[in-house]
Amino acid sequence: MLETDRNQLHKCVEEALPELDMMIGWTRCDPLQTTPVFIRDAKSISSLTLGPFCSQNLAGYLVKPPALDAPPKPDAKPIGICVKGCDSRSLVALIQEKFITRQRVRIFGIPCGGTVDWRKVARHVELGSVKSADVQDRVLVIEDSTTTHRIALEEVLSRKCLGCRHPNPVISDVLIGAEVSPRSTGMETSYRDVDELDAKPLEERLAFWQSELDRCIRCYACRNACPLCVCQDRCIVETREPRWLTQHVGVPEKFLFHFIHAMHLAGRCTGCGECERVCPMDIPVTLIKEKLNKIMEEMLGYSAGLDPEAVPPLLTFNPGETEI
Amino acid sequence: MAVKIFIAADRLDSVLEKLSTKIDLWIPALLKDDKSGPTGFVQYTPGITPAFDRQTTMPLKKLLLPQEETLLRFKYQKDPEGSLKTTIALDDPKEARPTLVFGARSCDVRALVTLDRVFANGPYVDPYYVQRRKNTLFATLVCGQTDSKCFCSSVGGGPADMEGSHLRIVRLEDGYLVEALSKDAQPLLADLAEAPDKSRDQLAAKLVKEASKRQVGDLDTKDCAPAFRNRFQQNDYWASMVSQCLSCGVCTYVCPTCYCFSITDETRNLEGERLRSWDSCMFYHYTLEASGHNPRPTKLERYRNRVGHKFSYIPERYEGLLGCCGCGRCIRSCPVNIDIRQVVGNLKENSNEQ
Amino acid sequence: MTDSNPRSSAPAEDTAANRQGIKIVGFLCNWCSYGGADTAGVCRFKQPTDLRVVRIPCTGRMDPLFIAKSLIYGVDGVLVSGCHPRDCHYAVGNFYARRRMEAFKAFLPFMGIDTRRFKYTWVSASEGQQWQKVVTEFSEQIHMLGPNPGVELRSGEILKVSSGLK
Ligand code: SF4
Ligand code: SF4
Ligand code: SF4
Ligand code: SF4
Repeated sequence: MLETDRNQLHKCVEEALPELDMMIGWTRCDPLQTTPVFIRDAKSISSLTLGPFCSQNLAGYLVKPPALDAPPKPDAKPIGICVKGCDSRSLVALIQEKFITRQRVRIFGIPCGGTVDWRKVARHVELGSVKSADVQDRVLVIEDSTTTHRIALEEVLSRKCLGCRHPNPVISDVLIGAEVSPRSTGMETSYRDVDELDAKPLEERLAFWQSELDRCIRCYACRNACPLCVCQDRCIVETREPRWLTQHVGVPEKFLFHFIHAMHLAGRCTGCGECERVCPMDIPVTLIKEKLNKIMEEMLGYSAGLDPEAVPPLLTFNPGETEI
Repeated sequence: MAVKIFIAADRLDSVLEKLSTKIDLWIPALLKDDKSGPTGFVQYTPGITPAFDRQTTMPLKKLLLPQEETLLRFKYQKDPEGSLKTTIALDDPKEARPTLVFGARSCDVRALVTLDRVFANGPYVDPYYVQRRKNTLFATLVCGQTDSKCFCSSVGGGPADMEGSHLRIVRLEDGYLVEALSKDAQPLLADLAEAPDKSRDQLAAKLVKEASKRQVGDLDTKDCAPAFRNRFQQNDYWASMVSQCLSCGVCTYVCPTCYCFSITDETRNLEGERLRSWDSCMFYHYTLEASGHNPRPTKLERYRNRVGHKFSYIPERYEGLLGCCGCGRCIRSCPVNIDIRQVVGNLKENSNEQ
Repeated sequence: MTDSNPRSSAPAEDTAANRQGIKIVGFLCNWCSYGGADTAGVCRFKQPTDLRVVRIPCTGRMDPLFIAKSLIYGVDGVLVSGCHPRDCHYAVGNFYARRRMEAFKAFLPFMGIDTRRFKYTWVSASEGQQWQKVVTEFSEQIHMLGPNPGVELRSGEILKVSSGLK
């Protein structure tokens, strides 16, 4: 099935490439992982892949070099991009906030059955010894030098996938493969982790975040990987004037950093999970934003990255709302 | 005096506890309640979970080069005569306690060769670093868990390399055989455990021999410097290798040989500290000049610098020494899976074509 | 926002509140609540002394991160006050502020910070009496809660707090 989808992807990209500036997609670099590629040359199309190992959200590359050219040339050709369900929401959010135009992108949408989190795989097998990995009928089959391991896909899916409501791209020009049915349809199932933490007493919540954020090394990968952290090199966590943060590595500094990331994403975060995926210290960074997403949904009935015309709720107001 | 001891696996905790009364003891341990979670070096306290079975996520450099360090403290004192006049009082805290790192790996300790060249061997000697370095001993594990990202043998090390180590640890099925390699380490082993029996001793010797023969990694690091110079201006090369880079600092922060730092004054009211903290050449601000000009404006120049520094500038300056110990951490932790071996390995390939 | 972490070491005046060590930061809109506080002062209404006022041009300028920074570093309470809705000097600043602060209020406890340490309210320049009431009530509430432990500087190398996340 994956094979057919991959062929379809190659064929569609081959047809489209002459009209494109470049194609952004994934390529396999390791049995369990992929790396983003930027394709301009038809020869390289065969390296494109899709499927459960394509964990990176490529939408952020649209606002970073080499895809970014500011101001865009009027005759610029569109950029082709592969998106999973969650990635497509980031793309919509970028369109909403006018960082890119709809015409600028040619979207190859890929319905997604969930992505594999290599950290969870490490609970089952020693990563260093993995020779090959494949997913068949929702079972992850891993070969190492001696054995074949079979792990239920559910066990190793990324945390964000477990409550995913939009596995099918919400926006696309071409759809690769068949649509899948969402794992979750309502707030109860998609915010399970938030509710669990919320159910604990206040002191425990503080202790939890103190212990989690204590590990943060302030590498800022979570920020740099976030497709909606559009300030990047101009981020206030690094400016000295105004100086929000010192170079101390205490927990308060780390708390404030994560407050900054969270508040700047309030009403904009689509829950794509990149910030959590990239964290080298395995901190549940997305969970912080999930809470804000839940607040936005409950308070203002808003979810980011679904409607290209909508205005993010904290960038607008409604004089009549007195009940919020 | 014992020069070799055998620590049975079930006695490890009590031995470490005893050891920690003799000296500040640091071991690799889980940083999260998850056996496959991130690991790093932490000061031993009874009850922590050691992680001797795999390489740590974070390197041990923070022991010698902490992520944050106060170089001096200062205080402005208002002159009672004229309020505009102030004097500065300085306080310069330097202290280092005798420390033992138990359970680092060959690559971890080998990385210090690079740091030593920069901080200890002149012409600019860093007293903070040297203080700690002098006071730290290393008990190094002969590495038995190399994986597909390791390449220590390609950069001058090897799984049994003991350069810079004071004690050697060999992991056996039922425990650990620890041997003092230098005189100053011997007293540490006194009264800790029994000497090993003959069969264990022989087995350990055999494992060491096997490990020292293992070739880990096949990166060719010969003549990287001229190849790098050739590639320096080939933007297409760097674009083809690292366009996906996010410019985050993960690779440099997890790297045991990356030592760049920043110095800032963190003032609060009339008091402050001059801090030295880790910096990363992957950051935009690293080379941002006061004028607003940035000689390394994009990730391509920044990544190029990382490769150049390790495989061209350092070897040219320090008689062929490489600025990389082949631990593979940057490869494992990179969120977009950039592989430094590929970037370095391809330097020489068709470099004149473009 | 340059050199002052709110955990300041400056010697404090000897007042009852300071003896208890309570510090409350008030962010007041220049056009209304700042005037309201002034009115209360001019009318000699008795007010608690543990409030330190920061004047802002409009609650629309109110970055929730000001509040976050204060509470993380151990300020005991934060009070934000601006013009009544539809009375904003800049027409709509407080409408933006209202959404932000509501969201922030709901978010704080998730991170383990007591949301009762933050309050926002609307007081106009003429409402001296109202201002007196608001500050007194908030100050009482903060005294009831006691000093804010803030976020610990170091939580130790490993806290055995299990996340329970799947
Ligand atoms: S990626 Fe992780 S370690 Fe790095 S700054 Fe973000 S939370 Fe901290
Ligand atoms: S904050 Fe995290 S989950 Fe939200 S959009 Fe950014 S990377 Fe995605
Ligand atoms: S190479 Fe990888 S880890 Fe290093 S800055 Fe780039 S994305 Fe981050
Ligand atoms: S560059 Fe990479 S492989 Fe080399 S020492 Fe640093 S982290 Fe290890």
